[in-house]
Amino acid sequence: MNKIYQNNIQNIIYKNIPIILLFISVLNEFDFNNLGLKYFSFNFSYILIFYYSLKKSESLGYVYIFIAGLFNDVVVGTPIGLSSLMYLILCGAAAYLRNITLSPSLIKDCIFFLITILIINSLLFMILNLIYDFELNYFEKIINIIWTFLFYFLFSFIFNFFEHYFTGRSNAS
Amino acid sequence: METSRDDFVIAIRSAFLKKGTQQRFSLLSLIFFSLVFLILGSLNFKAISYLKTVINEIVYRSSFIVSGPENFIKNNYLIVNDHFNLYEKNKRNIDELNNLKGKDLTQKIITLENIKYKKLIDEYFLEDNETVAKVLIDKQSPFLRSVIINKGSKNNIELGMVVMDEGFLVGKIVDVNFFTSRVLLISDINSKIPVSIQPGDIQAIMSGKDKKKGVLQYIRDINLPKTNEKMLVLTSGAGGLFKSGIPIGEVNIDEDLLDDNKDRVVNFYRDFTQLKYVKVVSFSKAKNLLDISSKDDAKKLEDKIKETNQQQETLRVLLEQKKIADEIRAKIQKDNDFLRNERVRLKKEILAEKKINQQNKTQEKEIKFLKMNLNYGHKCRKSTFNNLYKVGTDEYRQCVLNKGLKK
Repeated sequence: MNKIYQNNIQNIIYKNIPIILLFISVLNEFDFNNLGLKYFSFNFSYILIFYYSLKKSESLGYVYIFIAGLFNDVVVGTPIGLSSLMYLILCGAAAYLRNITLSPSLIKDCIFFLITILIINSLLFMILNLIYDFELNYFEKIINIIWTFLFYFLFSFIFNFFEHYFTGRSNAS
Repeated sequence: METSRDDFVIAIRSAFLKKGTQQRFSLLSLIFFSLVFLILGSLNFKAISYLKTVINEIVYRSSFIVSGPENFIKNNYLIVNDHFNLYEKNKRNIDELNNLKGKDLTQKIITLENIKYKKLIDEYFLEDNETVAKVLIDKQSPFLRSVIINKGSKNNIELGMVVMDEGFLVGKIVDVNFFTSRVLLISDINSKIPVSIQPGDIQAIMSGKDKKKGVLQYIRDINLPKTNEKMLVLTSGAGGLFKSGIPIGEVNIDEDLLDDNKDRVVNFYRDFTQLKYVKVVSFSKAKNLLDISSKDDAKKLEDKIKETNQQQETLRVLLEQKKIADEIRAKIQKDNDFLRNERVRLKKEILAEKKINQQNKTQEKEIKFLKMNLNYGHKCRKSTFNNLYKVGTDEYRQCVLNKGLKK
Protein backbone atom coordinates (compact mmCIF):
# COMPACT_ATOMS: atom_id res chain seq x y z
CA MET A 1 0.00 0.00 0.00
CA ASN A 2 2.82 2.27 1.03
CA LYS A 3 4.71 1.44 -2.14
CA ILE A 4 1.70 2.25 -4.31
CA TYR A 5 1.32 5.58 -2.54
CA GLN A 6 5.02 6.34 -3.07
CA ASN A 7 4.76 5.41 -6.73
CA ASN A 8 1.77 7.70 -7.09
CA ILE A 9 3.70 10.64 -5.66
CA GLN A 10 6.63 9.86 -7.91
CA ASN A 11 4.35 9.73 -10.92
CA ILE A 12 2.76 13.05 -10.03
CA ILE A 13 6.19 14.65 -9.65
CA TYR A 14 7.46 13.21 -12.94
CA LYS A 15 4.28 14.29 -14.69
CA ASN A 16 4.59 17.85 -13.43
CA ILE A 17 8.31 18.22 -14.02
CA PRO A 18 7.80 20.44 -17.12
CA ILE A 19 5.63 22.88 -15.14
CA ILE A 20 8.09 22.86 -12.23
CA LEU A 21 10.99 23.47 -14.62
CA LEU A 22 9.12 26.30 -16.31
CA PHE A 23 8.39 28.07 -13.04
CA ILE A 24 11.93 27.52 -11.76
CA SER A 25 13.39 28.93 -14.96
CA VAL A 26 11.12 31.95 -14.64
CA LEU A 27 11.57 32.59 -10.93
CA ASN A 28 15.21 31.68 -10.45
CA GLU A 29 17.81 34.41 -10.06
CA PHE A 30 20.06 32.47 -12.42
CA ASP A 31 18.74 33.25 -15.87
CA PHE A 32 20.17 31.66 -19.02
CA ASN A 33 18.61 34.51 -20.94
CA ASN A 34 20.79 37.01 -19.16
CA LEU A 35 24.05 35.39 -18.13
CA GLY A 36 26.10 38.52 -18.58
CA LEU A 37 28.22 36.88 -21.27
CA LYS A 38 28.65 38.67 -24.55
CA TYR A 39 28.30 35.76 -26.93
CA PHE A 40 26.20 33.32 -24.98
CA SER A 41 22.60 33.39 -23.84
CA PHE A 42 19.58 31.31 -24.66
CA ASN A 43 15.94 31.24 -23.75
CA PHE A 44 15.29 28.02 -21.88
CA SER A 45 11.60 28.81 -21.40
CA TYR A 46 11.04 28.99 -25.17
CA ILE A 47 12.68 25.58 -25.68
CA LEU A 48 10.70 24.00 -22.85
CA ILE A 49 7.37 25.45 -23.93
CA PHE A 50 7.84 24.61 -27.60
CA TYR A 51 9.03 21.08 -26.94
CA TYR A 52 6.25 20.16 -24.53
CA SER A 53 3.53 21.93 -26.53
CA LEU A 54 4.66 19.99 -29.56
CA LYS A 55 5.36 16.58 -28.08
CA LYS A 56 3.19 16.41 -25.00
CA SER A 57 0.65 19.16 -25.02
CA GLU A 58 -1.12 17.84 -21.91
CA SER A 59 2.02 18.28 -19.76
CA LEU A 60 2.00 22.07 -19.87
CA GLY A 61 -1.40 23.68 -19.41
CA TYR A 62 -1.89 26.94 -21.28
CA VAL A 63 -3.02 28.62 -18.08
CA TYR A 64 0.25 27.70 -16.37
CA ILE A 65 2.16 29.08 -19.33
CA PHE A 66 0.11 32.25 -19.13
CA ILE A 67 0.84 32.62 -15.39
CA ALA A 68 4.53 31.84 -15.93
CA GLY A 69 4.58 34.63 -18.52
CA LEU A 70 3.09 37.07 -16.02
CA PHE A 71 5.71 36.04 -13.44
CA ASN A 72 8.45 36.45 -16.02
CA ASP A 73 7.25 39.95 -16.80
CA VAL A 74 7.40 40.89 -13.13
CA VAL A 75 10.86 39.39 -12.68
CA VAL A 76 12.34 40.83 -15.88
CA GLY A 77 10.49 44.13 -15.68
CA THR A 78 8.82 44.07 -19.08
CA PRO A 79 5.20 45.27 -19.49
CA ILE A 80 2.87 42.79 -17.85
CA GLY A 81 1.27 40.38 -20.32
CA LEU A 82 4.03 40.59 -22.92
CA SER A 83 5.87 37.37 -22.05
CA SER A 84 2.53 35.56 -21.72
CA LEU A 85 1.64 36.69 -25.21
CA MET A 86 4.95 35.46 -26.59
CA TYR A 87 4.72 32.12 -24.78
CA LEU A 88 1.18 31.58 -26.01
CA ILE A 89 2.09 32.43 -29.61
CA LEU A 90 4.88 29.87 -29.28
CA CYS A 91 2.32 27.35 -28.01
CA GLY A 92 0.05 28.19 -30.94
CA ALA A 93 2.87 27.63 -33.41
CA ALA A 94 3.73 24.31 -31.77
CA ALA A 95 0.07 23.25 -31.86
CA TYR A 96 -0.16 24.19 -35.53
CA LEU A 97 2.96 22.16 -36.32
CA ARG A 98 1.53 19.23 -34.38
CA ASN A 99 -1.67 19.38 -36.40
CA ILE A 100 0.02 19.47 -39.79
CA THR A 101 2.75 16.92 -39.05
CA LEU A 102 2.21 13.35 -40.13
CA SER A 103 5.73 12.01 -39.62
CA PRO A 104 7.64 13.93 -36.93
CA SER A 105 11.30 14.73 -37.49
CA LEU A 106 13.69 16.66 -35.29
CA ILE A 107 15.12 18.72 -38.15
CA LYS A 108 11.69 19.90 -39.26
CA ASP A 109 10.76 20.73 -35.67
CA CYS A 110 13.96 22.72 -35.25
CA ILE A 111 13.49 24.70 -38.43
CA PHE A 112 9.91 25.49 -37.47
CA PHE A 113 11.14 26.45 -33.99
CA LEU A 114 13.74 28.78 -35.51
CA ILE A 115 11.12 30.49 -37.68
CA THR A 116 8.79 30.82 -34.71
CA ILE A 117 11.38 32.34 -32.37
CA LEU A 118 12.46 34.72 -35.12
CA ILE A 119 8.86 35.90 -35.48
CA ILE A 120 8.35 36.07 -31.71
CA ASN A 121 11.53 38.03 -31.10
CA SER A 122 10.73 40.41 -33.94
CA LEU A 123 7.31 40.98 -32.44
CA LEU A 124 8.83 41.44 -28.99
CA PHE A 125 11.37 43.86 -30.39
CA MET A 126 8.72 45.87 -32.19
CA ILE A 127 6.42 46.10 -29.20
CA LEU A 128 9.19 46.99 -26.75
CA ASN A 129 10.98 49.39 -29.04
CA LEU A 130 8.13 51.14 -30.79
CA ILE A 131 5.44 51.20 -28.13
CA TYR A 132 7.33 51.11 -24.83
CA ASP A 133 10.61 52.83 -25.88
CA PHE A 134 12.81 50.05 -24.51
CA GLU A 135 16.41 50.01 -25.77
CA LEU A 136 17.26 46.57 -27.15
CA ASN A 137 20.44 45.29 -28.71
CA TYR A 138 20.00 43.63 -32.12
CA PHE A 139 23.25 41.73 -31.82
CA GLU A 140 22.41 40.24 -28.41
CA LYS A 141 18.98 39.22 -29.68
CA ILE A 142 20.49 37.44 -32.69
CA ILE A 143 23.02 35.65 -30.46
CA ASN A 144 20.18 34.63 -28.17
CA ILE A 145 18.10 33.28 -31.06
CA ILE A 146 21.01 31.30 -32.51
CA TRP A 147 21.89 29.68 -29.20
CA THR A 148 18.23 28.97 -28.42
CA PHE A 149 17.92 27.27 -31.80
CA LEU A 150 21.10 25.23 -31.31
CA PHE A 151 20.19 24.22 -27.78
CA TYR A 152 16.84 22.93 -28.98
CA PHE A 153 18.64 19.85 -30.36
CA LEU A 154 20.35 19.15 -27.05
CA PHE A 155 17.31 19.74 -24.90
CA SER A 156 15.01 17.73 -27.16
CA PHE A 157 17.33 14.75 -26.60
CA ILE A 158 17.37 15.38 -22.86
CA PHE A 159 13.60 15.73 -22.66
CA ASN A 160 13.13 12.64 -24.84
CA PHE A 161 15.42 10.70 -22.56
CA PHE A 162 13.57 11.95 -19.50
CA GLU A 163 10.18 11.10 -20.95
CA HIS A 164 11.36 7.68 -22.01
CA TYR A 165 13.14 6.59 -18.85
CA PHE A 166 11.29 8.38 -16.09
CA THR A 167 7.72 8.70 -17.16
CA GLY A 168 7.86 5.70 -19.50
CA ARG A 169 6.40 7.60 -22.45
CA SER A 170 8.50 8.24 -25.49
CA ASN A 171 7.54 11.06 -27.84
CA ALA A 172 4.39 9.76 -29.22
CA SER A 173 3.08 12.61 -31.24
CA MET B 1 -5.13 24.91 -53.94
CA GLU B 2 -8.48 25.29 -52.26
CA THR B 3 -7.88 22.14 -50.24
CA SER B 4 -4.48 23.28 -48.96
CA ARG B 5 -5.95 26.59 -47.80
CA ASP B 6 -8.73 24.71 -46.06
CA ASP B 7 -6.16 22.50 -44.36
CA PHE B 8 -4.26 25.54 -43.20
CA VAL B 9 -7.40 27.14 -41.78
CA ILE B 10 -8.42 23.92 -40.09
CA ALA B 11 -4.96 23.49 -38.55
CA ILE B 12 -4.87 27.08 -37.32
CA ARG B 13 -8.39 26.85 -35.96
CA SER B 14 -7.61 23.61 -34.23
CA ALA B 15 -4.42 25.05 -32.73
CA PHE B 16 -5.89 28.27 -31.41
CA LEU B 17 -9.52 27.49 -30.72
CA LYS B 18 -9.66 23.88 -29.70
CA LYS B 19 -9.23 23.14 -26.02
CA GLY B 20 -6.83 20.26 -25.61
CA THR B 21 -7.08 17.55 -23.01
CA GLN B 22 -6.85 19.07 -19.53
CA GLN B 23 -6.87 22.61 -20.99
CA ARG B 24 -9.44 24.86 -19.43
CA PHE B 25 -9.02 27.79 -21.77
CA SER B 26 -8.38 27.90 -25.47
CA LEU B 27 -5.16 29.49 -26.66
CA LEU B 28 -6.98 32.34 -28.32
CA SER B 29 -8.79 33.37 -25.15
CA LEU B 30 -5.51 33.42 -23.21
CA ILE B 31 -3.84 35.45 -25.96
CA PHE B 32 -6.77 37.81 -25.72
CA PHE B 33 -6.25 38.06 -21.93
CA SER B 34 -2.56 38.83 -22.46
CA LEU B 35 -3.39 41.60 -24.90
CA VAL B 36 -5.94 43.04 -22.48
CA PHE B 37 -3.31 42.99 -19.71
CA LEU B 38 -0.80 44.61 -22.00
CA ILE B 39 -3.12 47.38 -23.15
CA LEU B 40 -4.62 48.11 -19.74
CA GLY B 41 -1.16 47.98 -18.16
CA SER B 42 0.14 50.59 -20.61
CA LEU B 43 -2.87 52.77 -19.74
CA ASN B 44 -1.98 52.45 -16.02
CA PHE B 45 -5.27 50.79 -15.23
CA LYS B 46 -5.71 50.45 -11.47
CA ALA B 47 -6.78 46.81 -11.45
CA ILE B 48 -3.65 45.88 -13.39
CA SER B 49 -1.51 47.81 -10.90
CA TYR B 50 -3.08 45.85 -8.04
CA LEU B 51 -2.56 42.62 -9.91
CA LYS B 52 1.04 43.57 -10.51
CA THR B 53 1.49 44.30 -6.81
CA VAL B 54 0.02 40.91 -5.88
CA ILE B 55 2.21 39.13 -8.43
CA ASN B 56 5.21 41.08 -7.16
CA GLU B 57 4.58 39.87 -3.63
CA ILE B 58 4.19 36.26 -4.78
CA VAL B 59 7.14 36.39 -7.14
CA TYR B 60 9.59 37.98 -4.68
CA ARG B 61 8.82 35.42 -2.00
CA SER B 62 8.77 32.49 -4.43
CA SER B 63 11.93 33.70 -6.11
CA PHE B 64 13.66 33.77 -2.74
CA ILE B 65 12.64 30.16 -2.09
CA VAL B 66 13.39 28.93 -5.62
CA SER B 67 16.80 30.60 -5.61
CA GLY B 68 17.63 28.94 -2.27
CA PRO B 69 19.55 25.95 -3.67
CA GLU B 70 21.33 28.09 -6.21
CA ASN B 71 22.36 30.59 -3.54
CA PHE B 72 23.46 27.70 -1.35
CA ILE B 73 25.69 26.38 -4.14
CA LYS B 74 26.97 29.87 -4.91
CA ASN B 75 27.83 30.52 -1.27
CA ASN B 76 29.56 27.18 -0.93
CA TYR B 77 31.51 27.81 -4.10
CA LEU B 78 32.66 31.12 -2.67
CA ILE B 79 33.65 29.42 0.59
CA VAL B 80 35.63 26.75 -1.26
CA ASN B 81 37.23 29.38 -3.46
CA ASP B 82 38.16 31.35 -0.37
CA HIS B 83 39.64 28.24 1.14
CA PHE B 84 41.81 27.63 -1.93
CA ASN B 85 42.97 31.23 -1.94
CA LEU B 86 43.78 31.11 1.75
CA TYR B 87 47.48 30.50 1.26
CA GLU B 88 47.92 33.39 -1.16
CA LYS B 89 45.79 35.61 1.01
CA ASN B 90 47.81 34.72 4.08
CA LYS B 91 51.05 35.49 2.29
CA ARG B 92 49.70 38.84 1.16
CA ASN B 93 48.41 39.61 4.63
CA ILE B 94 51.80 38.83 6.19
CA ASP B 95 53.52 41.20 3.77
CA GLU B 96 50.93 43.85 4.45
CA LEU B 97 51.25 43.31 8.20
CA ASN B 98 55.01 43.75 8.05
CA ASN B 99 54.55 46.88 6.02
CA LEU B 100 51.96 48.23 8.44
CA LYS B 101 54.11 47.35 11.43
CA GLY B 102 56.82 49.54 9.98
CA LYS B 103 54.34 52.32 9.34
CA ASP B 104 52.85 51.92 12.81
CA LEU B 105 56.24 52.34 14.39
CA THR B 106 56.90 55.43 12.28
CA GLN B 107 53.58 56.87 13.38
CA LYS B 108 54.35 56.03 16.99
CA ILE B 109 57.62 57.89 16.70
CA ILE B 110 55.94 60.91 15.15
CA THR B 111 53.26 60.92 17.87
CA LEU B 112 55.82 60.68 20.63
CA GLU B 113 57.91 63.43 19.07
CA ASN B 114 54.78 65.53 18.71
CA ILE B 115 53.94 65.03 22.40
CA LYS B 116 57.48 65.93 23.34
CA TYR B 117 57.45 69.19 21.38
CA LYS B 118 53.97 70.10 22.56
CA LYS B 119 55.06 69.58 26.12
CA LEU B 120 58.04 71.79 25.49
CA ILE B 121 55.80 74.65 24.33
CA ASP B 122 53.25 73.96 27.08
CA GLU B 123 50.53 73.01 24.58
CA TYR B 124 49.81 69.42 25.41
CA PHE B 125 46.24 68.68 26.45
CA LEU B 126 44.98 65.61 28.23
CA GLU B 127 41.42 64.33 28.29
CA ASP B 128 40.50 64.60 31.94
CA ASN B 129 36.76 64.06 31.83
CA GLU B 130 34.91 62.00 29.32
CA THR B 131 31.19 61.31 29.39
CA VAL B 132 29.09 59.49 26.84
CA ALA B 133 25.63 60.99 26.40
CA LYS B 134 22.53 60.21 24.42
CA VAL B 135 20.96 62.82 22.17
CA LEU B 136 17.46 63.41 23.51
CA ILE B 137 16.04 66.07 21.26
CA ASP B 138 17.33 67.05 17.89
CA LYS B 139 14.85 69.65 16.85
CA GLN B 140 15.54 70.92 13.40
CA SER B 141 15.13 74.61 14.04
CA PRO B 142 16.00 76.96 11.19
CA PHE B 143 17.35 79.49 13.67
CA LEU B 144 19.38 77.57 16.19
CA ARG B 145 21.20 74.37 15.50
CA SER B 146 21.53 72.60 18.79
CA VAL B 147 20.77 69.27 20.42
CA ILE B 148 19.82 68.31 23.95
CA ILE B 149 21.77 65.52 25.64
CA ASN B 150 20.79 63.44 28.65
CA LYS B 151 23.75 64.42 30.86
CA GLY B 152 23.94 67.54 32.99
CA SER B 153 25.72 69.03 35.95
CA LYS B 154 24.94 65.84 37.89
CA ASN B 155 27.39 64.09 35.57
CA ASN B 156 30.05 66.80 35.86
CA ILE B 157 29.13 68.44 32.58
CA GLU B 158 30.32 72.02 32.46
CA LEU B 159 29.88 74.94 30.13
CA GLY B 160 32.29 75.00 27.20
CA MET B 161 33.02 71.28 27.20
CA VAL B 162 33.76 69.82 23.79
CA VAL B 163 31.24 67.45 22.22
CA MET B 164 32.59 64.85 19.83
CA ASP B 165 31.21 62.01 17.73
CA GLU B 166 33.72 59.23 17.03
CA GLY B 167 36.63 61.64 17.28
CA PHE B 168 35.08 64.34 15.09
CA LEU B 169 34.06 67.71 16.48
CA VAL B 170 30.32 68.18 16.91
CA GLY B 171 29.99 71.28 19.07
CA LYS B 172 30.28 72.62 22.59
CA ILE B 173 28.11 72.77 25.68
CA VAL B 174 26.29 76.11 25.93
CA ASP B 175 23.68 75.42 28.56
CA VAL B 176 23.87 73.03 31.51
CA ASN B 177 20.90 71.83 33.57
CA PHE B 178 20.91 69.24 36.34
CA PHE B 179 19.99 66.29 34.14
CA THR B 180 20.36 67.70 30.63
CA SER B 181 22.57 70.02 28.62
CA ARG B 182 22.33 71.90 25.36
CA VAL B 183 24.99 71.46 22.72
CA LEU B 184 25.54 74.19 20.18
CA LEU B 185 26.48 72.44 16.98
CA ILE B 186 29.32 73.74 14.85
CA SER B 187 26.84 73.98 11.98
CA ASP B 188 25.10 76.84 13.82
CA ILE B 189 25.68 80.28 12.39
CA ASN B 190 26.67 81.56 15.83
CA SER B 191 29.37 79.03 16.32
CA LYS B 192 32.82 80.45 15.55
CA ILE B 193 35.63 77.93 15.65
CA PRO B 194 39.30 78.77 15.15
CA VAL B 195 40.50 76.27 12.59
CA SER B 196 43.62 75.46 10.66
CA ILE B 197 43.58 74.10 7.12
CA GLN B 198 46.08 71.36 6.38
CA PRO B 199 48.39 71.00 4.53
CA GLY B 200 49.69 74.54 4.62
CA ASP B 201 48.65 75.37 8.18
CA ILE B 202 46.34 78.19 7.05
CA GLN B 203 44.51 79.77 9.96
CA ALA B 204 40.85 80.72 9.72
CA ILE B 205 37.60 81.06 11.63
CA MET B 206 34.81 78.68 10.72
CA SER B 207 31.15 79.41 11.18
CA GLY B 208 28.13 77.19 10.60
CA LYS B 209 26.08 77.52 7.45
CA ASP B 210 24.08 74.45 6.66
CA LYS B 211 23.23 71.05 8.18
CA LYS B 212 26.29 69.47 6.62
CA LYS B 213 28.37 72.49 5.78
CA GLY B 214 30.34 75.25 7.40
CA VAL B 215 31.89 78.33 5.95
CA LEU B 216 35.42 79.66 6.38
CA GLN B 217 35.71 83.27 7.41
CA TYR B 218 38.67 85.54 7.93
CA ILE B 219 41.22 83.54 6.01
CA ARG B 220 44.31 85.64 6.46
CA ASP B 221 46.72 84.21 4.01
CA ILE B 222 46.06 81.96 1.08
CA ASN B 223 49.20 80.23 0.00
CA LEU B 224 47.55 77.04 -1.02
CA PRO B 225 49.82 74.20 -1.92
CA LYS B 226 49.16 72.73 -5.35
CA THR B 227 47.63 69.39 -4.53
CA ASN B 228 44.78 67.37 -5.93
CA GLU B 229 43.80 66.05 -2.53
CA LYS B 230 41.13 67.61 -0.40
CA MET B 231 42.34 69.91 2.37
CA LEU B 232 41.56 68.96 5.94
CA VAL B 233 40.00 71.34 8.42
CA LEU B 234 41.11 70.83 12.03
CA THR B 235 40.70 72.84 15.17
CA SER B 236 43.69 75.12 15.57
CA GLY B 237 43.50 75.38 19.34
CA ALA B 238 43.80 79.17 19.12
CA GLY B 239 42.08 80.95 21.99
CA GLY B 240 42.31 77.85 24.15
CA LEU B 241 38.68 76.95 23.46
CA PHE B 242 39.35 73.61 21.81
CA LYS B 243 42.30 71.30 21.81
CA SER B 244 44.21 71.57 18.53
CA GLY B 245 43.95 68.86 15.90
CA ILE B 246 40.32 67.72 16.25
CA PRO B 247 39.07 66.89 12.74
CA ILE B 248 36.04 68.84 11.50
CA GLY B 249 35.70 68.39 7.76
CA GLU B 250 37.36 69.00 4.42
CA VAL B 251 37.55 71.73 1.82
CA ASN B 252 37.67 71.30 -1.93
CA ILE B 253 40.40 73.32 -3.57
CA ASP B 254 38.79 75.30 -6.32
CA GLU B 255 38.26 78.84 -7.43
CA ASP B 256 35.87 79.44 -4.54
CA LEU B 257 38.64 79.15 -2.01
CA LEU B 258 40.62 81.89 -3.70
CA ASP B 259 37.69 84.14 -4.47
CA ASP B 260 36.91 86.55 -1.64
CA ASN B 261 33.35 87.12 -2.81
CA LYS B 262 32.33 83.48 -2.60
CA ASP B 263 31.75 81.27 0.45
CA ARG B 264 34.56 78.87 1.25
CA VAL B 265 32.56 75.82 2.15
CA VAL B 266 33.67 73.15 4.62
CA ASN B 267 32.00 69.73 4.26
CA PHE B 268 31.63 68.25 7.73
CA TYR B 269 32.69 64.67 8.32
CA ARG B 270 29.61 63.92 10.43
CA ASP B 271 25.97 64.32 9.61
CA PHE B 272 24.59 66.23 12.60
CA THR B 273 21.02 65.20 11.84
CA GLN B 274 21.95 61.57 12.53
CA LEU B 275 23.54 61.95 15.96
CA LYS B 276 22.52 59.33 18.52
CA TYR B 277 25.34 59.18 21.04
CA VAL B 278 28.04 61.76 21.62
CA LYS B 279 31.10 62.07 23.80
CA VAL B 280 31.43 65.10 26.03
CA VAL B 281 35.08 65.77 26.77
CA SER B 282 37.06 68.34 28.63
CA PHE B 283 40.76 68.85 28.10
CA SER B 284 43.30 70.16 30.51
CA LYS B 285 46.84 71.19 29.90
CA ALA B 286 49.44 68.71 30.99
CA LYS B 287 51.38 70.21 33.87
CA ASN B 288 54.73 70.50 32.32
CA LEU B 289 56.97 72.98 33.94
CA LEU B 290 60.55 72.60 33.00
CA ASP B 291 61.61 71.27 36.36
CA ILE B 292 63.51 68.14 37.26
CA SER B 293 60.49 65.85 36.98
CA SER B 294 59.60 67.17 33.55
CA LYS B 295 63.19 66.74 32.50
CA ASP B 296 62.93 63.15 33.65
CA ASP B 297 59.73 62.82 31.64
CA ALA B 298 61.42 64.24 28.58
CA LYS B 299 64.31 61.85 29.07
CA LYS B 300 61.91 58.93 29.39
CA LEU B 301 60.13 60.07 26.28
CA GLU B 302 63.37 60.40 24.41
CA ASP B 303 64.41 56.92 25.54
CA LYS B 304 61.08 55.62 24.34
CA ILE B 305 61.57 57.31 20.98
CA LYS B 306 65.05 55.87 20.76
CA GLU B 307 63.77 52.41 21.62
CA THR B 308 61.01 52.64 19.03
CA ASN B 309 63.53 53.90 16.50
CA GLN B 310 65.71 50.90 17.27
CA GLN B 311 62.74 48.58 16.90
CA GLN B 312 61.94 50.09 13.56
CA GLU B 313 65.57 49.77 12.48
CA THR B 314 65.63 46.13 13.62
CA LEU B 315 62.43 45.46 11.75
CA ARG B 316 63.86 47.09 8.65
CA VAL B 317 67.05 45.05 8.95
CA LEU B 318 65.07 41.85 9.47
CA LEU B 319 62.94 42.59 6.45
CA GLU B 320 66.08 43.31 4.46
CA GLN B 321 67.65 40.06 5.72
CA LYS B 322 64.53 38.15 4.80
CA LYS B 323 64.66 39.62 1.34
CA ILE B 324 68.32 38.65 0.93
CA ALA B 325 67.67 35.18 2.35
CA ASP B 326 64.83 34.72 -0.10
CA GLU B 327 67.06 35.78 -2.96
CA ILE B 328 69.84 33.40 -1.84
CA ARG B 329 67.35 30.60 -1.41
CA ALA B 330 66.04 31.16 -4.93
CA LYS B 331 69.58 31.19 -6.28
CA ILE B 332 70.53 28.01 -4.42
CA GLN B 333 67.37 26.38 -5.64
CA LYS B 334 68.29 27.31 -9.20
CA ASP B 335 71.86 25.97 -8.76
CA ASN B 336 70.51 22.84 -7.20
CA ASP B 337 68.22 22.24 -10.13
CA PHE B 338 71.06 22.82 -12.54
CA LEU B 339 73.37 20.42 -10.66
CA ARG B 340 70.69 17.78 -10.48
CA ASN B 341 70.20 17.95 -14.21
CA GLU B 342 73.97 17.85 -14.73
CA ARG B 343 74.24 14.77 -12.53
CA VAL B 344 71.57 12.96 -14.48
CA ARG B 345 73.27 13.91 -17.73
CA LEU B 346 76.69 12.68 -16.50
CA LYS B 347 75.20 9.42 -15.27
CA LYS B 348 73.76 8.83 -18.69
CA GLU B 349 77.12 9.62 -20.29
CA ILE B 350 78.97 7.20 -17.96
CA LEU B 351 76.51 4.45 -18.76
CA ALA B 352 77.00 5.04 -22.48
CA GLU B 353 80.80 4.99 -22.02
CA LYS B 354 80.60 1.74 -20.06
CA LYS B 355 78.56 0.17 -22.79
CA ILE B 356 81.09 1.24 -25.43
CA ASN B 357 83.97 -0.13 -23.30
CA GLN B 358 82.21 -3.42 -22.94
CA GLN B 359 81.69 -3.62 -26.67
CA ASN B 360 85.35 -2.78 -27.30
CA LYS B 361 86.51 -5.48 -24.91
CA THR B 362 84.35 -8.06 -26.59
CA GLN B 363 85.61 -6.99 -29.98
CA GLU B 364 89.24 -7.17 -28.78
CA LYS B 365 88.71 -10.68 -27.44
CA GLU B 366 87.14 -11.72 -30.72
CA ILE B 367 90.04 -10.29 -32.75
CA LYS B 368 92.56 -12.04 -30.49
CA PHE B 369 90.71 -15.32 -30.93
CA LEU B 370 90.56 -14.88 -34.71
CA LYS B 371 94.29 -14.15 -34.87
CA MET B 372 95.09 -17.19 -32.75
CA ASN B 373 92.65 -19.23 -34.76
CA LEU B 374 94.72 -18.53 -37.85
CA ASN B 375 97.84 -19.80 -36.11
CA TYR B 376 96.58 -22.62 -33.95
CA GLY B 377 93.22 -23.57 -35.46
CA HIS B 378 94.63 -26.60 -37.25
CA LYS B 379 95.88 -27.97 -33.91
CA CYS B 380 92.43 -28.12 -32.45
CA ARG B 381 90.13 -28.70 -35.47
CA LYS B 382 88.47 -32.07 -35.79
CA SER B 383 89.28 -34.04 -38.94
CA THR B 384 89.06 -37.61 -40.21
CA PHE B 385 92.53 -38.30 -38.88
CA ASN B 386 92.10 -37.00 -35.34
CA ASN B 387 89.52 -36.78 -32.70
CA LEU B 388 89.76 -33.11 -31.76
CA TYR B 389 87.09 -30.43 -31.36
CA LYS B 390 84.38 -29.29 -33.68
CA VAL B 391 84.78 -25.68 -34.93
CA GLY B 392 82.60 -23.22 -33.09
CA THR B 393 82.36 -25.13 -29.83
CA ASP B 394 83.60 -23.76 -26.52
CA GLU B 395 86.20 -26.52 -26.28
CA TYR B 396 87.57 -25.55 -29.69
CA ARG B 397 87.74 -21.92 -28.64
CA GLN B 398 89.51 -22.84 -25.39
CA CYS B 399 91.93 -25.02 -27.31
CA VAL B 400 92.79 -22.19 -29.74
CA LEU B 401 93.28 -19.76 -26.86
CA ASN B 402 95.62 -22.32 -25.22
CA LYS B 403 97.62 -22.44 -28.46
CA GLY B 404 96.69 -26.05 -29.09
CA LEU B 405 96.07 -29.03 -26.96
CA LYS B 406 97.74 -28.89 -23.58
CA LYS B 407 99.91 -31.78 -22.93
